[in-house]
Amino acid sequence: MKIPIAFFLSLIVFSTANLFAQNEFAKEFIFATKLYNEENYYDAVTECKRLVFFDSDSQYVFKAYILMGKSYKMGGKFSDAILNFTNAELNAKTSGEVFESKIEIIRANILRRTTDRALQLLDDLDKNGNFSSRTDEINYWRGWTYIFAERWKEAASSFSKIDSCEQLQQLCMQVEKDKYSVTFANLISHFIPGAGQIYTGNYVSGFLSLGWNILAGYVTINSFAADRIFDGLVELNFFWLRFYNGNIQNAQKFALYENQKISNKALNYLQFQYNGTKP
Amino acid sequence: MKKIFLFFIFFYASGFSQAIHQNEVDLFSPANIKKFADYLYCSGDYLRAALEYEKYFSADPNDTVKFKIATAYSKIGKYSKASALFDSFHENSKFFPFARMEFFETLFEEKNYPELRDSISNAGLSNGFIFKEQAKKIYYFSYLYSNESLPSKSDFLSNFSGPDLNQIKYFYDWKNNPPYKSPLLAALFSAVIPGSGKLYAGEIADGVTALLATASLGYLSYTDFKAGHYFRGWLFGGLAAGFYAGNIYGSAAAAQIYNVKIQFDFENSLKVFINSKNCFVPEINFCK
Repeated sequence: MKIPIAFFLSLIVFSTANLFAQNEFAKEFIFATKLYNEENYYDAVTECKRLVFFDSDSQYVFKAYILMGKSYKMGGKFSDAILNFTNAELNAKTSGEVFESKIEIIRANILRRTTDRALQLLDDLDKNGNFSSRTDEINYWRGWTYIFAERWKEAASSFSKIDSCEQLQQLCMQVEKDKYSVTFANLISHFIPGAGQIYTGNYVSGFLSLGWNILAGYVTINSFAADRIFDGLVELNFFWLRFYNGNIQNAQKFALYENQKISNKALNYLQFQYNGTKP
Repeated sequence: MKKIFLFFIFFYASGFSQAIHQNEVDLFSPANIKKFADYLYCSGDYLRAALEYEKYFSADPNDTVKFKIATAYSKIGKYSKASALFDSFHENSKFFPFARMEFFETLFEEKNYPELRDSISNAGLSNGFIFKEQAKKIYYFSYLYSNESLPSKSDFLSNFSGPDLNQIKYFYDWKNNPPYKSPLLAALFSAVIPGSGKLYAGEIADGVTALLATASLGYLSYTDFKAGHYFRGWLFGGLAAGFYAGNIYGSAAAAQIYNVKIQFDFENSLKVFINSKNCFVPEINFCK
């Protein structure tokens, strides 16, 4: 009877010894997390690196790589973040961890605006049968990818596939509706100089452009009418065409600028007032 | 039975102590800090490595660690910290000659050429110094980067020999008489013939365009005044004057840009040459 007692005693002793080491790593991970929460990202990375270096049993390696990636992401070092999320994926032990690391990679790609890569990764997740139950999350991040690429219509379409994302869908549709057509602004400026600027709400610029074109046209035509051909050619080239071409380019520029303002307003709202998960 | 029981107790107790020994990881023990610092250093994470070595150094100050701290700081461009550390090695240290040369290199990288030359004169050129020849070359190369007057050509070239002598001669001549363009002359040229200052500064297309634009606008102004179209005469005259004045200013600016460019090219090719010829001491590889 005494032998089994000794055996059990030894088992307890061994497990205590293992726990002791694990506690050290757990403490280190808690310390790294604390540094991250205090926005001390440089030191958080150092402690995560220490953890990865010493944790030969890989108890905390996945978590450490994820935390390291997040720290780099917060510091705007997206490529380093992706490298660490990829390392996390390589050290993932469950399909849940694989999914988590892949989503982190996608989020970092969204932020660094490597849209094609983010979409490619989302498509891969979509095709992977292991994650068929997580389609909503995949569509959610696809929507965000399109938002950051300023493809609001496609973003709205992605959010429409998720029941709980009506607010985001509405926002994206509104942005798409508010945007000016660059092609239309360009086209009407060919026919009526200044019309493109007026269409985008830049009235002063539009009427000024119209005025310059009328003046330049008058001077040029007058010269041709008076048989001063060389004068007319130079005025046409240096005066009228300069204002005519400038008006077309300006209309396009204003349309793009106004669209940017509309997009930025929406992004600003998403950054500061939207409470859901963001990249 | 009691003996067997005691044997097992002893056996497991010894196993326990071994297990504790194997599994207990004090992440912040000096030995582990050093291990971690070595890993960081060899993976190229020099700032973190330097900070970890500094922690270790307070527990066990030694020259190897000090040299690594200094090298790590030098690698990330923190030359003032690196040079202070390299400068602190004692003559008896096995790292002393390497530290000295690294010290010279950090001063060179900091562009602190007067102090570099003083230091080399004081210590680097003594007969016992094993890297005397390299130090001498650095000493003379520093003149090619600074704006101080150069030593005489024969003095300068006497420190070099072999197949690179022609290249060094070229660097010396360039520095002695750099092929700069004068901004004043460029402006004067353009004042006499619009665009000619740009041609002088090597901007041929700009020069021809400036000439044509100024001439066309001037001609238009002249013909308009002649025909009694005063508004157009003033309009084109004003434009021609604007082009003319802008071209004079642009020519002076073009000459300055040209000078900056060739100065940059010179320093760049000199840097490539110095690095390719191993003028500095090869690094000690701690990561074998």
